[in-house]
Amino acid sequence: MAPVLSLRGIEKSYGAVAALKGIDLDIERGEVLALCGDNGAGKSSLVRIISGAQEPSAGTILLDGEPVSFRSPQDALAKGIATIYQDLALAPRLSIVQNVFMGAELTRPLLPFLHVLDKRRMEERARGYLSRLSVAVEDMHRPVERLSGGQRQAVAISRALHWNAQVVIMDEPTAALGVKETALVLDLIRKLHAEGRTVVLISHNMADVTAVATRVAILKSGRKVIDRPVAGLDADSLAHMVMTGKEI
Amino acid sequence: MRSFLETYGTAVAGLALALFFVVFAPNFAAPNNLLNVLKETSFLAILAIGFTLALITSELDLSVAEVASLAAVVTGALIQAGQSPLLAVAAGLVVALGAGLFNGIAVTRLKVPSLIATLGTAAIAKGFAFMITQGVAFVGRWPTQFTGIARGSLFGIPNLVLWLAIVAGAALFLVKCTRTGVHMTATGEADEAARLAGIATGRMKRLGLTLSGLLAGVTAVLLTASLSSAAPNMAGDYFLYAIAAVLLGMTMFEPGRANVPGTLVAALTLKVLGNGLVLMGAAYYVQDIVLGLIIIISVALSATALKKAAFKL
Repeated sequence: MAPVLSLRGIEKSYGAVAALKGIDLDIERGEVLALCGDNGAGKSSLVRIISGAQEPSAGTILLDGEPVSFRSPQDALAKGIATIYQDLALAPRLSIVQNVFMGAELTRPLLPFLHVLDKRRMEERARGYLSRLSVAVEDMHRPVERLSGGQRQAVAISRALHWNAQVVIMDEPTAALGVKETALVLDLIRKLHAEGRTVVLISHNMADVTAVATRVAILKSGRKVIDRPVAGLDADSLAHMVMTGKEI
Repeated sequence: MRSFLETYGTAVAGLALALFFVVFAPNFAAPNNLLNVLKETSFLAILAIGFTLALITSELDLSVAEVASLAAVVTGALIQAGQSPLLAVAAGLVVALGAGLFNGIAVTRLKVPSLIATLGTAAIAKGFAFMITQGVAFVGRWPTQFTGIARGSLFGIPNLVLWLAIVAGAALFLVKCTRTGVHMTATGEADEAARLAGIATGRMKRLGLTLSGLLAGVTAVLLTASLSSAAPNMAGDYFLYAIAAVLLGMTMFEPGRANVPGTLVAALTLKVLGNGLVLMGAAYYVQDIVLGLIIIISVALSATALKKAAFKL
């Protein structure tokens, strides 16, 4: 079976600066791929390209073996690739339900030509998504700003579930979180993995990577220098590889 | 849970104010006076609901009063010229809607902050209004077919109150029960997040500002029909009142967010206040001073969304 996403010769230049110098990367269905690298290695550029926020200067993206181009994050979303941004993607003062269904609300016909929001069904579904992720929140109408960092990630992931995204890209999901919240987010990633969804995890935290990732790709100066299974690696040797760009 | 005081505090204060006037202001509780307050509220509340719809998408519409004046003189000019009321009303509404759409395009396409764009539109509308009237007012014995829009009644309920009920009901339905409404809210709450979720945020802002223009037109038609006259500055007095109604409304029901029920209750409260003060013999300027205080205190209490809209220059 073809990889769910294949990148071939992806390049990205910003003026004279080449951020990506020809990346080949296969993302297999159902894996948790960690994308690592120091600041400036090209992680963010690569993520922006996969998530549809930017178009590559050169190279092709294959989705299930077919060449695609994403014109916008919404376009990528429609094709099954959801990106969970650190903070930007939630409306803090809106409720859990409103955030989960933002842009893709459920409606029911009131009159033949008039559809209204189906609030009850949305509330039930939102509750369902969160319980699928084993996150216990009682009040689906609580504003997201009153949730913990980990619970917010769960709301963002619930939205990806509602879109039925096959690939979920998580950009530094644990960066601002405490120990307990980090554990919650790692559990969320395991849940997505168990559901057979593909996760691309961008992280600086090597302990997180070894805890949940199945494979790691390390970028250095715009090139992919390492691409290997995570099994058998510990956080220290991974950190060493990120710094040196060499396998040990 | 939000405390009761935070959510309903100012609404209760408005109720207390009305009770105060019932006891202390001579003739306040007379049925005729109450009916008049209600009718007066209609103009203000419809205008302010338009402003509310724009502010829900986090855009200010400072042109509502001038656009209403322009729409009023357009309608008045056509009635004065003996045109059919239907045509006159349609023309007024179209002009107002066009002004709102113009605001929307200036804000979303030309990227002019709404605070500035709508001020510009206000000046333009004012200029056109004076151009049409040459500075004088249209006054006449206008057909009852036209004046009846505002002066008539149905089953004993004044038409003005019915129009307000229709507008408020439609606005509330739009905001609370339709996808478009929640997309408008999401756009106002978190522009970037809404865009990433696939919401056409620019279109929502244009819609909010266009509806604001349209409701300024509705206010203008009702005002013109009710007064049987149209002048180039006739809605000018409503400007600060409309802003005050929206801001005071933001302190209740959904604190910090422009909301239709809040605007409605706040408009009624302001009209009760104005009427009560007059009946108690307060000088006319007291109203202005109180209005200014209400505007400032309301924003201090809760209006973070407005601060966001006003200061994203």
